[in-house]
Amino acid sequence: MSDFSTQLASALPQDMGSGPGWVKTLRQGGVQNFRAHGLPTRKDEAWKYTGLGVMGQNGVQLATGFRSQVSGVSNPKPLAESGCQVDMLDGQFLEQIGSPRPGLTVLPLADALHQGVAGLQTLLESLPGPKSGSGSSFGFSALNTATLEPGVVVHVAAGTDAGRLSLTWSTRGDDVPLLFNSRVCLILETGAKLELVEQFESLDDNANGSNIVLQANVEENAVLHHVRFQQESEKAALITRTEVTQQANSEYAYYGFDLGGGLVRHDLHTSLLGSGAKSGINGAYLLDGNRHVDNHARVDHIAPGGFSDQYFRGVAGGSGRAVFNTAVCVHPGADETEARQSNANILLSARAEVDTKPELEIYADEVIASHGATVGQLDELAVFYLRSRGLNEQEARQLLTTAFCQSVSDRLADPVLGGVISQRMMDVMPHAG
Amino acid sequence: MSTMLKITNLHATVAGKEILKGLNLELEAGEIHAIMGPNGAGKSTLGNILAGREGYEVTQGEVMFNGKNLLDLEPEERACEGVFMAFQYPVEIPGVNNTYFLRAALNAQRKYRGEEELDSVGFLRLVREKLEILHIGDELLHRAVNEGFSGGEKKRNEIFQMAVLEPTLAILDETDSGLDIDALKTVAEGVNRLRSKDRGMIVVTHYQRLLDYIVPDKVHVLADGRLVATGGADLALKLEEQGYAWLEDGGIATLNVESAAQTAKP
Repeated sequence: MSDFSTQLASALPQDMGSGPGWVKTLRQGGVQNFRAHGLPTRKDEAWKYTGLGVMGQNGVQLATGFRSQVSGVSNPKPLAESGCQVDMLDGQFLEQIGSPRPGLTVLPLADALHQGVAGLQTLLESLPGPKSGSGSSFGFSALNTATLEPGVVVHVAAGTDAGRLSLTWSTRGDDVPLLFNSRVCLILETGAKLELVEQFESLDDNANGSNIVLQANVEENAVLHHVRFQQESEKAALITRTEVTQQANSEYAYYGFDLGGGLVRHDLHTSLLGSGAKSGINGAYLLDGNRHVDNHARVDHIAPGGFSDQYFRGVAGGSGRAVFNTAVCVHPGADETEARQSNANILLSARAEVDTKPELEIYADEVIASHGATVGQLDELAVFYLRSRGLNEQEARQLLTTAFCQSVSDRLADPVLGGVISQRMMDVMPHAG
Repeated sequence: MSTMLKITNLHATVAGKEILKGLNLELEAGEIHAIMGPNGAGKSTLGNILAGREGYEVTQGEVMFNGKNLLDLEPEERACEGVFMAFQYPVEIPGVNNTYFLRAALNAQRKYRGEEELDSVGFLRLVREKLEILHIGDELLHRAVNEGFSGGEKKRNEIFQMAVLEPTLAILDETDSGLDIDALKTVAEGVNRLRSKDRGMIVVTHYQRLLDYIVPDKVHVLADGRLVATGGADLALKLEEQGYAWLEDGGIATLNVESAAQTAKP
């Protein structure tokens, strides 16, 4: 174990906190797992390109308990209008703005653990990793489970359309940078609908870390749209894991936008457990400076007739480094599955680096699968074409790189939100050199 | 009439190989000049040099455009000064909407000239007006620039851009290549509607066919990096009859036209 892991392990609380017995048992499992394995290292295949040294160097410490609230602190405005908004500060449920539509329940996790919410225990206990002896590659999840309490629970009742819920995440700088843990639980009953817009923006130029696990259970015919936009500070670390299980004919659509953050890692895993389920996994990442963004996306087709489409676009300038790993596994019996994977990248500078790896395993029949990964440069002829019409070189390059990433925001169902995100991407678009 | 473009003793190399070997040309406002010649003569090189494409090195000579040394300007400055090249192979730009792109280009040019930028309403009005003049539909507007366009659509899009940007000097680089006769007519009609006393045009072509529809004021023959003959529109017909083989025989005189050297103005 690294010194950083040891330091985090020793900061874990001795008692298992409050709440029902099963919660304490979960925490206990997380503590044991983390003490045994610590955080992942480059020796773990899934973490080969992403080191955590920078967090140790920054002196990041485990945040325990509440910090006193500071008046006048407010989270950034949501990207787009929504009926209901929840502000998360330092991983804690700060406040809820607006009233949820009928059928939508939003609760701080701490309250939900005491009160009980239908399906919550099953969902929390189902998180793979810490219990299954998977070593240190799930170290962040173990740490998250060990400190299980801060977070939010969202429940959408059967057959109701909950509309849009905005979840804004911020952290405050302090004397020492802190690592915050938080858990998001989404339960969509049969035929329920929800659009979740997560937004991560630092309040100041801090070097905090966030370790957030999102679990979603999408029941039959339910539809979950999940937008995740992050523009964290250049020093901040954002480690997130998304675990989605989908029942028959459900739909999950993910749209991720990485515009900031110093060290960013997202593990996104969807399991298509019911037949005819659909998963659209889309993402764009823009890197500059010394930023590091690592996306690991995996889709498991377990039931027949499923559809998945993974579509990622990346632009790396400066000394930025992007890691992209996309895996699809079509399990025995998942016949007539259709799976697509596409990842294209543009390198704007000689120092930038992209490591992309598509993986595809098929153990079923009548499967349609395609995958492609490219890393290239801007088409210089296209740059000249735009310049020959009057755009200057910088405008031409910016237009081309933005268009490249905009193919992701164009996939959003709401063109207004797509336009806002597209503009934000254009504002931070890395330049050549 | 005044001289708009004056090319003097232009020498240029591409990848170390000399392509233009002392080219002289003068174009007055309102004129259309055709430049014809065999493959490899340097026709496209001339267009690309005027537009400012990288990879073409001018080793000698100068190009004056409305009193400015064109070769000192960046490609976008040339565009803003009023130079437009219709590409032989228009570039596909996935993800960039045709209308958005053209408005950005027009506004960049207006800004350069100190004019107010057009808002989307004003721009759309202009676009409608130009589409009407060119007799073309608006189906290309909503698509990504040239992406998935047929050969004819790409060339029409070039002419449409030209109509909106209203250049002072337009260079049409083998605009007829790859077009069937109907597409050729549409493109030629568009060009004819954009003829004006203030606008000069250079039509680079391998075949005489395009000149049936766009009747030039002058026809130049470019061979081995130089203009070797200059004449009126009928010179194109003679070339069509006799091909370019006479060039190798040194047979300019037999064509019974003025040679370039004789017409060059002092």
